Amino acid sequence: MTGDPSADVADRAGDESDGAADVPDGAADVPDRASDEAASAVGGIVDPARTGEGAAASDARVSAADLAGTDDTGTGPTKAGTPIRLVDVTKRYEGGGGTVTALSNVDFAVGAGEVVAVVGPSGSGKSTMLNLLGLLDDPTAGRVELHGTPVAGRSERERTDVRRETIGFVFQDFHLIPTLSAVENVRLPTAFLSGDHTDRAVDLLERVGLGDRLDHTPDELSGGQKQRVAIARSLINEPDVLLADEPTGNLDRDTGVSVLEEIREIAAGGVGVVAVTHDDLVTDYADRTVELVDGVLDDG
Amino acid sequence: MGDRIRRLSRLVPTAAIARLGSRLRDAAGGAASAARVAIPDPLAARIVRAGDAFGRRFPAVSLALRNLSRQRLRAGLAALGIVIGVFAVVALGMLGTALQTAATEELGGLGNQVIVSPAAESGEETLDSRDLAAVERAAAGRGTVIPLKSTGGTVSGGGGRTVAQVYGTTNPRPLFGDAPGVPDYHRQGALVGADVAGALDLRVGSQITIESNTYRVVAVLPPQSSITPLRADSAVVLPPDEFATDGFSQVVVQADSGGDADAVARDVRERLNVRERRVSVFSLTSVLDQITEFFALLNGFLLAVAGVSLVVAGVSIFNVMLMTVSERRGEIGVLRAVGIHRDQVLRTLLVEATLLGVVGGVVGVLIGTAGVVLVALNTDLPLDAVLVPTNALVALGAFAFGATVALVGGLYPAYRAAWEPPVESLRG
Repeated sequence: MTGDPSADVADRAGDESDGAADVPDGAADVPDRASDEAASAVGGIVDPARTGEGAAASDARVSAADLAGTDDTGTGPTKAGTPIRLVDVTKRYEGGGGTVTALSNVDFAVGAGEVVAVVGPSGSGKSTMLNLLGLLDDPTAGRVELHGTPVAGRSERERTDVRRETIGFVFQDFHLIPTLSAVENVRLPTAFLSGDHTDRAVDLLERVGLGDRLDHTPDELSGGQKQRVAIARSLINEPDVLLADEPTGNLDRDTGVSVLEEIREIAAGGVGVVAVTHDDLVTDYADRTVELVDGVLDDG
Repeated sequence: MGDRIRRLSRLVPTAAIARLGSRLRDAAGGAASAARVAIPDPLAARIVRAGDAFGRRFPAVSLALRNLSRQRLRAGLAALGIVIGVFAVVALGMLGTALQTAATEELGGLGNQVIVSPAAESGEETLDSRDLAAVERAAAGRGTVIPLKSTGGTVSGGGGRTVAQVYGTTNPRPLFGDAPGVPDYHRQGALVGADVAGALDLRVGSQITIESNTYRVVAVLPPQSSITPLRADSAVVLPPDEFATDGFSQVVVQADSGGDADAVARDVRERLNVRERRVSVFSLTSVLDQITEFFALLNGFLLAVAGVSLVVAGVSIFNVMLMTVSERRGEIGVLRAVGIHRDQVLRTLLVEATLLGVVGGVVGVLIGTAGVVLVALNTDLPLDAVLVPTNALVALGAFAFGATVALVGGLYPAYRAAWEPPVESLRG
């Protein structure tokens, strides 16, 4: 794995035309690129806390996270291990018609460089799961861990900072700000930070193939281009995890394919990707697919 | 180059600067292709860079400006409410101040005069030199003491006759005003009031006769513009020695200020009226105070009426901001999700509301001031009375009120939007 994951993306940008033919290679690349710990996490340990082996792996990941910052492995400080994990998470909502259990005792982890598709019928708790992973919501029971550290108890301000630094969001309907150009949309998360992030925004847009659309506002872009802008925006702060809510939901098949390839490229750079979807196409591009049925996770 | 500038200019956060940059860009591009003479690249680039730097320095302002530009008509109408409110406050406030100023000028030094005359119950018709000395002591350092003798009389001259008030004083200027020929110390000849001079067709050098004594007119007094208890326009002022009596019919104190006039009046009463009521002391200070109070009340009432219209404008801003944030719920949710803090979202929305107030306030102040100046130019209201420092405060206060009303109007919608959990906002 290279120190700058986005360099890979740049190298591979423009290969889009090869289309789905690349996918198996891309998927096969992932374990090679990830660190050993990450590979073991990807390799099917979904609930490591319940096995001794898993516990050991978990320890290894924590120590990898502890090493973060020393960077002596040559991997980015936050690109190893399991960036985010749900441990025995239950989420209940109090509604007019009584209590609704959206998620029930869910254990879930995404490894660095792994693409996980979460499928399931409407109302199965997919969005709730994504909100919990994105630190947008709190579980009723269980815990959310970020690099092995529980998130609970952090202030809203800290969570917002963590979201900005660790998590990238891609939404079904893109959610770009209509008055801002592509570049401005991409650098939006940094708007209130010091320093000029324009160069990085331009760089990211060039990598997702929109180098010639920098000044275009969202209404001047196609659906696929908008989703690429949204992806570039999610990468502006070099996140460890990319959370995608129906990333291809509003796109035609060809455009969906190119967006998914983009997502694979990002994962190849060591970013864990969780995509909530109805779309079989997304599962084709995933390393792993898990199914949620009535709030219960089926690891398939 | 064109591309580079085009890209840069799109990054300029403020619409105005972006437009300027774009104009320069077009000019540069057009000129370059036509005549190969471009506007210096650095200039356009510098403007663009300055705009970009502004956007980075004040991201909330930059985002707010962009958001306002989305719904121009709605933003314009909300700002119009503030314009009307501020206009009303400025126009009524400034007119009130101008009226008060004009009225105070009209009343002139009236409020500063203390007139001491013999009390009816004392039986005396004049004040003696002891009374004068007491008044002088009371007024020491607080104003000028002018002893007056006065009587009614018939004046003839220039072939006519008229009734006039005849005054005797050596120091006519403070009470009767200045004109060519009015002496510092009046020891001979007669000063005639404007009405007397008009009735008898008198001018400097004319002769008049009062009770068989003939005097030469040494000055014609200016017409009295301000209200005064002395009937200066129908007066003839003679040296006091011309009067048969020794005593003075009244002593006028021209105090330096209203406060001094009050003090002098009090002091004179204490000195002369302790054992018996020897003198009657008349001061208009309290009357003037009441007039001032009335104007203050009137101004307050007018401002309150105008203020109500501004509050209505605030409600319209409140409404507009509520609509705006409910339409942009999803966007605000995204902002929160991608790591923009609640207070940063709040700030952006508050800047948006306040900008409506600031723009509306500036326009309202300009239109209001122009309106009042126009009124002054087309009526008897003197322009001087409009252009007083108080009115600058009125303008500033109205502007600040407008901006504050807009800020307060935006407070709740902004708070509600910024504090809504992002999960909820994203659902909207």
